[in-house]
Amino acid sequence: MRRPNERRRAPYWAALGCVLSVIVALLFQAAPTRLVEGIDIMPSLPLMVIFLWSGLRPYFMPPFAVFLIGLTQDLLTGAPMGVWALSYLVSIAVFRFRGEEGMPRDLPPIVIRFTGTLLLAHTIAYVAGSLIPGNPANLQPLIIEAVASILMFPLVAFLVVRNRRSSRSGFIGG
Amino acid sequence: MASRRSTRDDAENGVRFSRTIFIALIVMSGALIAFDQPDSRSQAFANFRAGFTDIAAPLLELAAQPVRAVKGIGPYFRRQGELAEENAELRRQLIEARYWEDIAYRQRDRIEVYEAALNVQTPATQDRIGAWTVADPRGPFVQARLIGRGSQSGVADGYPVINLYGLVGRVYETGQRSARVLLLTDLNSRVPVMVDRSNARAILVGDNSEYPRLDYLGRNPDIEAGDRLVSSGDDGILPRGLPVGQAVPTREGGWRVELYSDQAPIDFVWVWPFQPALGPEAEAEEELAPGMDGLAVEGVASQTDADSVTSDVPQAMTATNDTSAETSADIPGDTVDEAPNADTEPEDAP
Repeated sequence: MRRPNERRRAPYWAALGCVLSVIVALLFQAAPTRLVEGIDIMPSLPLMVIFLWSGLRPYFMPPFAVFLIGLTQDLLTGAPMGVWALSYLVSIAVFRFRGEEGMPRDLPPIVIRFTGTLLLAHTIAYVAGSLIPGNPANLQPLIIEAVASILMFPLVAFLVVRNRRSSRSGFIGG
Repeated sequence: MASRRSTRDDAENGVRFSRTIFIALIVMSGALIAFDQPDSRSQAFANFRAGFTDIAAPLLELAAQPVRAVKGIGPYFRRQGELAEENAELRRQLIEARYWEDIAYRQRDRIEVYEAALNVQTPATQDRIGAWTVADPRGPFVQARLIGRGSQSGVADGYPVINLYGLVGRVYETGQRSARVLLLTDLNSRVPVMVDRSNARAILVGDNSEYPRLDYLGRNPDIEAGDRLVSSGDDGILPRGLPVGQAVPTREGGWRVELYSDQAPIDFVWVWPFQPALGPEAEAEEELAPGMDGLAVEGVASQTDADSVTSDVPQAMTATNDTSAETSADIPGDTVDEAPNADTEPEDAP
């Protein structure tokens, strides 16, 4: 078991990977990335990235970083400011991995916890977005996004877990 | 995220998160949601949003490039086999087009002669501003597009946006290098339209569905399934005659519209810098203002402030001013039914 101080010494490239993955997730979330014409399917990439990094390297995802990511998504997608920031903050706070080991190395608990995070985040976003007078949120895109995220996340989580298992020091320099 | 113990080391992975900061961020998020309402968005918020999208637009454009390339691969290979036939067809059309081009030039010259003889004042030809969409935020909260052109290119709030097939929406938030386009399907979109065949008027109301609704059709509207709908120009914001879509009857007896612009992905669009006709009062004010200077200008300005001007100009014009004044801070609402905004300034009309 390593001491906390050792855990905090993250390699710079791990931090770089975290930043890049957040930027890429936000850009692809907002960019016109419809590969299938007529169908808008885009999983919640920023939430996946936040969830995984908050499990792998919690100190990379302090509340302020989560808030900024959510706010950036609000601005990029034209949503009312604060909606995704609030939903990510609360859902990650509720469902993040706790304990000495952080995120487990088995896939099922990770997927189950992510599903909870996703459902809570989307519920909060829907309620917060619907509070705006005369502008109720559209439920259909939220449901499609949630389903796409649930279907896609196991693949991403599998790759993360596999890398973590194969690496002596954990995932990405950990 | 937040620790169970306030401002103490979180034993979980040795990470320290302050509960105070967490609660402060929650409160801040709630405050942002409360204050950033589309109907009452402050100018500072609107400027902040526009400035942010200005910064993000190049990055989004960069992110969209590989996607566009991937999307083009399939059609590229599909069309390889048809290239020879298509080439021959295009050559034939080119020969035909040259004939029509010649006729068009002759007609233009003839019209210029007639206009000069009759002293006809026609609106100046307005160049359209081409733009790629760099973001596609079709989310639960807004149906809009971010385009990579802004006020530096001549884009302004309220300008109609079209693609190859028809009207896409209107600009409602303009930055220097980017602008947001409110799609016709958005909940806040209201566009006056008419049936091309019968001139029956209606309002196209977006409701976040793929087929916007037709409202205010009247008791016995002269409309049939498949009728072509175009913009009526009644609001003074949009030009008359822009193709919008086809009428589709619903089971409930109402009408919806299958949008022409949905025939293809809204990747490349044109912003039309449409300048609506000014009312006589606004024109008079425009003529007066440049000639005045110093105190005289202030005097005129105080006499012809927004209240006095907007109260006299026709409804269409006031709707234009209303939207142009608000759009930088607001998604344009129902520009037909709304009362004129007393705080608007006619000079801001697009």
